[in-house]
Amino acid sequence: MRKLWSTFNLPTKISTVWVMIVLFFVVTGSFLPLPNPTEYDPDASGVGLFSPGHILGTDINGYDLLSNVVNGARISILIALISVGVGGLIGSAIGIGSAYIRGKLDIVVNLLFNILLSIPNLVLGLALVAILATSADPSIPIDPNRRVFIIIFSLTTIIIPILGRIARGATLSWVNREFIVAARSMGMKDRHIIFKHIVPNVLPAIYAVIFLAIGVVIVAEGALSLLGVGIIDGVSWGAMIGRVAGDFTYAPQSMYVPVVVLALTVIAFNQIGDHLRSQLDSREGKI
Amino acid sequence: MSSILKLENLKVRFSTHRGQLEAVRGVDLDIQVGTSIGIVGESGSGKTVMSRAAMGLLTGSNVTREGRVTFDGKVLSEMSREDVRNEFGTGMAMIFQDPMTALNPVRRIGSQLQESLRVRLGMSRKEARARSIELLTLVRIPEPKHMLRKFPSQLSGGMRQRIMIAIAISCNPKLLFADEPTTALDVTVQAQILELLTDLRKRLNMTMVLVTHDLGVVAGNTDYVAVMYAGEIVEQAPTTELFANMKMPYTEALFKSIPNIQMKAGSRLPVIEGRLPDPTDRPPGCGFAARCSYAQDKCFTEHPELEVAKDGHLYRCWFPLGDSVPRKVS
Amino acid sequence: MTNHAHLRKDSDVLLRVEDLVVEFKVPGNKVVNAVSSVSFDVKEGETLAVVGESGCGKTTLGKALLQIQKPKSGNVRFEGNELTSLSKNDLRSARTSIQMIFQDPISSLDPRMTVRQIVEEPLWIWSKGDENERLEKVKTLLNNVGLDPELVLDRKSYEFSGGQCQRISIARSLALEPKMLICDEPVSALDVSIQAQILNLLNDMKDRYGLTLIFISHDLSVVKAISTRIMVMYLGKVCEIGTTESIYAKPAHHYTAALISSVPVPDPTHKVERTPITGEPPSPVDPPSGCRFRTRCPAATELCATEEPMLREVSDGQFVACHYPRA
Ligand SMILES: Nc1ncnc2c1ncn2[C@@H]1O[C@H](COP(=O)(O)OP(=O)(O)OP(=O)(O)O)[C@@H](O)[C@H]1O
Ligand SMILES: Nc1ncnc2c1ncn2[C@@H]1O[C@H](COP(=O)(O)OP(=O)(O)O)[C@@H](O)[C@H]1O
Ligand code: SF4
Ligand code: SF4
Ligand SMILES: [Mg+2]
Ligand SMILES: [Mg+2]
Repeated sequence: MRKLWSTFNLPTKISTVWVMIVLFFVVTGSFLPLPNPTEYDPDASGVGLFSPGHILGTDINGYDLLSNVVNGARISILIALISVGVGGLIGSAIGIGSAYIRGKLDIVVNLLFNILLSIPNLVLGLALVAILATSADPSIPIDPNRRVFIIIFSLTTIIIPILGRIARGATLSWVNREFIVAARSMGMKDRHIIFKHIVPNVLPAIYAVIFLAIGVVIVAEGALSLLGVGIIDGVSWGAMIGRVAGDFTYAPQSMYVPVVVLALTVIAFNQIGDHLRSQLDSREGKI
Repeated sequence: MSSILKLENLKVRFSTHRGQLEAVRGVDLDIQVGTSIGIVGESGSGKTVMSRAAMGLLTGSNVTREGRVTFDGKVLSEMSREDVRNEFGTGMAMIFQDPMTALNPVRRIGSQLQESLRVRLGMSRKEARARSIELLTLVRIPEPKHMLRKFPSQLSGGMRQRIMIAIAISCNPKLLFADEPTTALDVTVQAQILELLTDLRKRLNMTMVLVTHDLGVVAGNTDYVAVMYAGEIVEQAPTTELFANMKMPYTEALFKSIPNIQMKAGSRLPVIEGRLPDPTDRPPGCGFAARCSYAQDKCFTEHPELEVAKDGHLYRCWFPLGDSVPRKVS
Repeated sequence: MTNHAHLRKDSDVLLRVEDLVVEFKVPGNKVVNAVSSVSFDVKEGETLAVVGESGCGKTTLGKALLQIQKPKSGNVRFEGNELTSLSKNDLRSARTSIQMIFQDPISSLDPRMTVRQIVEEPLWIWSKGDENERLEKVKTLLNNVGLDPELVLDRKSYEFSGGQCQRISIARSLALEPKMLICDEPVSALDVSIQAQILNLLNDMKDRYGLTLIFISHDLSVVKAISTRIMVMYLGKVCEIGTTESIYAKPAHHYTAALISSVPVPDPTHKVERTPITGEPPSPVDPPSGCRFRTRCPAATELCATEEPMLREVSDGQFVACHYPRA
């Protein structure tokens, strides 16, 4: 771990620290002595940064911004981790499997990935939410739990082809190496070849992209919320931004606090991902 | 005869996590116009690093180069990188071992070939096309017009190497560096490429530096040979003189270890045991001492200097072969 | 139309290959004729060298023997088993008695595994012995191929030079104590000075483990030290096959002669009477009619274009497929 840290440059170190802070709030958020995010303070509506009792100020209705951002982190990061985790697992399995087996299956999988990747993330997400989260009778609102599930499902669908393609490409570049042929000639079973030889070699490429993917998902979730199809009564960062968009002139902090936090987090994940990528490339060069 | 490339006390150091690595340790070399010289040595002996350093092609923050490099009367080692770059193509050119990675896989042969003609020689599109067909004919590619449209991946290794040669000679360089140009190729293709290089060199009056690990390759294709070992030149002589009269035990061992078509079938090959000394931690004496069957105590403690024998034969050995000095064979 | 003149009695040989055909489909509904009706046999303890230019089908042939590449037709009989018709599971265990080593020493080893894991792997696959026995075996193997187990066991393959990687590959291929070893250009990627070491090592291992070798190469000078018989291939076909002595003493096929004269001779006074062989082999997608070598052969005539030459004996144990063999 210390060895990994020593390879980081300054921006990556800062990014890592930021991600750590965010994760710290995700884990401990509900135990911290912060104002209740769902109760407004009638004596302090729309106060600016560093006001007494409200470090990051409040929005126009007097909701504390810090506690909302912390609470939002829980939702946003959790959604991102779940969809990238599940999407990454499914995508990698499909990518590795189809590249190993080749043949017609691979042609179909590759075509599907390409089609999904050619649709802009947001359009894809919107379409999925629109199809899945519309109830037959508009007067009966969709159950919020189901809504969260649908959002995660849509984001997972965005991630699958991204990571699937990476996994497929990496597998293709390893599967023809002679050590794989050698393993086959020693009588190794396909299952073992995949888990002992292919997966360990493909994983680093996937790790590096996972960080980039987390950034993609946070942005996509935020955008969906902004457009009003996200977690409406939830408090993810995107939802916060969407809710206060109209109050910008009266309480600008209510807008830029979540925007800045979201942006910093996405930039940090991207920075770490980029760094891992370049490290990987230089190591692959040596192999 | 005048000198085209002169290296004086060329040193190259890399700083690595294991410490200072001296890859080239004081090489002196004077190459005459119109000759061809072979640089021979086993893998890791510093052949590539030396030729790249001579051309000013070593970059990176962990490299230091010392010494003087004079090319065609200009002191390259004191020129800016920009000026050195201006010598490429028209002054000197290079061919690499792996013709696949040296060509851009996504561009057609024609555009890669015409690029330097247009940029360096300022030719029009039409002139460049005509000249590239001429070049492809020169390197004996059948149906050159057809070739312009192809991508590198559609060609065999031999064909790619011909393309590399065509690109290298496109601006009429005075000096051609060929770094293991045939190592990745079949013997049949190797024979063709070597013959082509020798022929082109004479026709275009180029000077050629042929880097290889195979003494068999330099035998028929060079005027001079320099043998490198552990970052130094350990023996240097006109080719016929070297083969007739090897002085350095290393050269002899290298020579004997070549699988030879004239030996008896099924015979055991002589080998050089051991390996190059660790370049970050060179022994004080002769770098070959631990592997040399003629080594004596002195070899382990004192570093031999380059001695001059008759006929311009240089060697770096305390107990050269063919000498009358008595020695015990260990 | 059989081309079996050179095959020996079935009961005497370890491996017998008959009329083996391997084809690859390529885009445009075309077919690469990588191996076209090749027959040969190998006796126990022999070393058969398979020699030919790049792309003539040597690697494909090697892989087809192991059934890693499925042949289109033909038979591969090893120790009385017909490998082409074995079930997947039987094939898996049959393969353990034929092992292969590859041209690229670096890419033959998994860069993420230690030398110990690499050499142990075949033993692990077949659950041979417990952990301690396996480690002992790995150490013995590494010792036998000239590596110090203490120094190399826990290092990864990319820390080693090409020659050392090839030693590790050889150790791995010997772990299951195979009967036959197919070496696909094991020294082509190595320095000449290292080539000799690996060739000697293979000869030693052959004696120690009682191996039968198939040694693939493009260089006739390399196989001279190691082979007992030589088979020369051109564009998927056998041109000439015979004992090592006879092939070098009087190559009967014009292609064999060209291969011999292409070898660089480390002697500046040597004047090459180079048999003119220019250009490269034609495409195996559309091979020439008759004799496949005719487009580059100095002795080709009309007949060579119309009629395919069959292998026939020109001297004791030397067979050539040529209408006008060299005297
Ligand atoms: N960029 C670098 N950083 C550190 N060490 C290097 C670098 N490039 C080369 N070396 C080291 O310098 C020494 C000489 O390498 P060089 O590539 O010149 O050998 P060579 O004689 O051309 O061998 P080959 O036959 O394998 O091409 C080696 O020990 C090598 O590991
Ligand atoms: N997977 C493949 N798909 C299509 N063609 C192939 C494939 N593998 C080999 N070939 C072709 O088959 C021929 C023989 O190849 P190979 O056996 O690798 O030759 P060698 O080992 O003699 O160099 C070549 O023309 C090669 O391009
Ligand atoms: S100096 Fe000594 S060790 Fe070195 S090559 Fe000469 S005899 Fe051998
Ligand atoms: S059959 Fe004809 S073309 Fe073929 S090798 Fe013999 S002489 Fe040449
Ligand atoms: Mg080199
Ligand atoms: Mg091959």
